[in-house]
Amino acid sequence: MAETVVLVAKDRSGRGSHGAKKLRQQGLIPGVVYGHKEATVSVALPHDELFKAVKAGARVIDLKQGEKLQKALIRDLQWDYLGKDILHVDFARVSADERITLDVRVELRGTAAGAAAGGVIDQPLHNLVVECPVISVPESIRVNIAELQIGVAIHVRELTLPPGVVVKNDPDAIVVQMVQKQVEAEPTVAAVPAATELAEPEVITKKKEVPEEEPEK
Amino acid sequence: MPLMPKRVKYRKSQRGKVKGNATRGNTVSYGEFGLQALEGGWLSAEAIEAGRVTAAHFARGEGRLYIRVFPHKSVTAIPAETRMGKGKGEPEYWAAVVKPGMILFEMAGVPEAAARDCMARVAYKMPFRCRFVSRRPNI
Repeated sequence: MAETVVLVAKDRSGRGSHGAKKLRQQGLIPGVVYGHKEATVSVALPHDELFKAVKAGARVIDLKQGEKLQKALIRDLQWDYLGKDILHVDFARVSADERITLDVRVELRGTAAGAAAGGVIDQPLHNLVVECPVISVPESIRVNIAELQIGVAIHVRELTLPPGVVVKNDPDAIVVQMVQKQVEAEPTVAAVPAATELAEPEVITKKKEVPEEEPEK
Repeated sequence: MPLMPKRVKYRKSQRGKVKGNATRGNTVSYGEFGLQALEGGWLSAEAIEAGRVTAAHFARGEGRLYIRVFPHKSVTAIPAETRMGKGKGEPEYWAAVVKPGMILFEMAGVPEAAARDCMARVAYKMPFRCRFVSRRPNI
């Protein structure tokens, strides 16, 4: 479980992309706080502190607005096109006795036994949708793959979960499996297509040639 | 063999312009690490294949490689020493239109150091600047 982070948010009046751009130049990130049938509030937070909290895996934070301290879930983050900087943040108000649904990362632990025998790890699920109390949001769901052999899969139903956490994914979904390494065969001379075979793709709008009928005499 | 579409509606396409940055295909989705384009342009099918071969050779079968781009665009050229006119040239090669921020390749099942080295080799084969990226925090 991640440590509780306290972020100090300032109310912001400027709206729109121009106001947001000005805030970002000052080292602040525009954000919005909503939920619990209260008024939606536009806020601005220090970039560095929020970035550090996100990198540390914080999901529920204590948001301080003036004298008011409230718990908030980081509901959504908007990143720039390179995924380097946070552009905007959405906070959803939560209370300590509430249960919330959110995505949690799957963390693989150990070295798989099947890897030594020529297996490759295939992980179809990187995140799990879990329901848990606000005060105990897991940082990640740890999956021990030390005994994973080739052809063996770990399903959602087989996971060991922290107390109070319920997974909402399909119980039969595969989280991680060990598959046989596929060795790419060197193309033989016969297998290499001739130059004539490297033709263009089929053109689906191409008009088909209709054989001309001989005129009747 | 380089990638190319199986079926197309038209053999030749107009050149177009690479405008703006990638708003889709700019996150690591399948693997754990990826190679992100920092510039826009056309990525030829041969360059994609060169990257794939380089990664396969370097990784020696370890982990999995995902190719996130596909050459949908046909690029035409007219032969050398040909007079102007006489219509558009014939398709010469196939290319993927890449915007800044797009993820070109992804890797999974290897440690970060190995993936970083592998992607550095692949980046040499790319016609534009690239950077190594990891998965974003899952929010």
